[in-house]
Amino acid sequence: MHAKPSTSWRLLDTGTRHAAENFAMNRAILESHQQGSSPHTLRFLGFFPAALIGFHQDVEQELNLDYIRANNIEVQRRLSGGGAIYMDELQFGWELYLNRKALASGDMAAIAKRICDTVARALQGLGVDAHFRPRNDIEVDGRKISGTGGYFDGDSFLYQGSLLVDFDMERMMRVLRIPAEKINHKSISDARQRIITLRELLADKVPDLGQVKSAIAQAIAEEFAIEWEATDSLNPAEEAIFHQALEEIDSDEWIYQHNRPVSEAPLIEDIYKAPGGLIRTTVIVDALKQRIKQLWITGDFFVIPSRLVVDLEASLRNTAITDLEKNVQAFFAQAEIEMLMLKAEDFIAAISQALAKSQ
Amino acid sequence: MATVRGCDIPDELFYNVDSNVWASLDESGNLTIGMTSYACSLSGQIVSYTPRKVGKLVKKNKSCATVESGKWVGPVKAPVDGEVVEVNPLLETQPELINADPYGQGWIIRLRPSHWSEDVTDLISGDVALAQFDKKMEVDGFGGC
Repeated sequence: MHAKPSTSWRLLDTGTRHAAENFAMNRAILESHQQGSSPHTLRFLGFFPAALIGFHQDVEQELNLDYIRANNIEVQRRLSGGGAIYMDELQFGWELYLNRKALASGDMAAIAKRICDTVARALQGLGVDAHFRPRNDIEVDGRKISGTGGYFDGDSFLYQGSLLVDFDMERMMRVLRIPAEKINHKSISDARQRIITLRELLADKVPDLGQVKSAIAQAIAEEFAIEWEATDSLNPAEEAIFHQALEEIDSDEWIYQHNRPVSEAPLIEDIYKAPGGLIRTTVIVDALKQRIKQLWITGDFFVIPSRLVVDLEASLRNTAITDLEKNVQAFFAQAEIEMLMLKAEDFIAAISQALAKSQ
Repeated sequence: MATVRGCDIPDELFYNVDSNVWASLDESGNLTIGMTSYACSLSGQIVSYTPRKVGKLVKKNKSCATVESGKWVGPVKAPVDGEVVEVNPLLETQPELINADPYGQGWIIRLRPSHWSEDVTDLISGDVALAQFDKKMEVDGFGGC
């Protein structure tokens, strides 16, 4: 028999909110936690339709603002890093507020892995073969079901993720900066190879949201040997910070604080003819920093496992162009891969050829 | 150069160990601030850098810049009150210099301290700093740079 946990953490469900309120709560709870006025907390949150960019992203380089405005979709800047996402009532967010002491680790990559492993275990309990994929995804057979990111302040940190219960793929593609003429049956189907939902995996056996949240809460309680105290509102210390933070975050000054023009992040498409087949590369380059922002590889080549390409794309996201060859070689060196007439060098050549067009 | 668990901690610099930053006063009275090699090791490869703007006043222990690594975002905290007089132009295009050369080309920001003679008493250096970093690494469960 397990000993009864002696430590309580807070379980907070703040329901569906505007994105600005959700992120002001991020600031309020984390700051209060850092000051010692908030307990370790698991929070569940929901969003009205919103395009959410990572803290350092540039609005116009990431989002299709014409579509967003025409469809009453909110735009907000997260405190956490990573890429732009679209969220609405078909998904929910989970987030943990802890400190390094609670995890006995200061290594940010190790902290991310431990939390993601725990949430993945919760999903496994629901019959979904979910696993952590470095650096920051939870995936099922190579397809993302939860994207995550974090923000730290001193010893306290917030680590948050989305969970795709269901998802409108076409809507996401229209929200993100993908040329409209590129959004068609084929590209939507390609995008579906990169993302998966509980609905797709479990069909009519999808548990209700309450059960999914319970599974996550239970897995975290077991991992950290704690028990939950449930609430649905902020404490007075958090409320005070929340109102100040909302004023700052619910403003164009916050949202557009980074807004380099689209011309500094060109989207390039290219086709490379390798002996083992055609490799189609689409890449968005950060021209200023000389980094690969986003990369999509498709084609008529044959590789096993088929998720290989998606993993390669993930490993190259936000990396320096000068490191391309080294990074691709390192990726192929650590994976067990079977390719017909195709070598790591073919991918390096295909991506390099596309990148050369941006120079 | 002195090291703690494999991390370079130059003994001629000032440190705020909790914020994991170093500081160095130049002849004109400006303070250069950066992340320690230990902070860089904890955060991993830094991919983005946003400093506070020149002319802004920053408070001691409040953010003077924001950095991102992996998908983690966090503040670099000013060790003193002061006005931003210079940001590192190299980091806009090469934020990886923060990891590659944290005490040199990867410096974060320069401040003109508001009341240096008071605030300097909060900072430590030399053997005292080395001992406190070692203690912090113990608490953080840190294996080494």
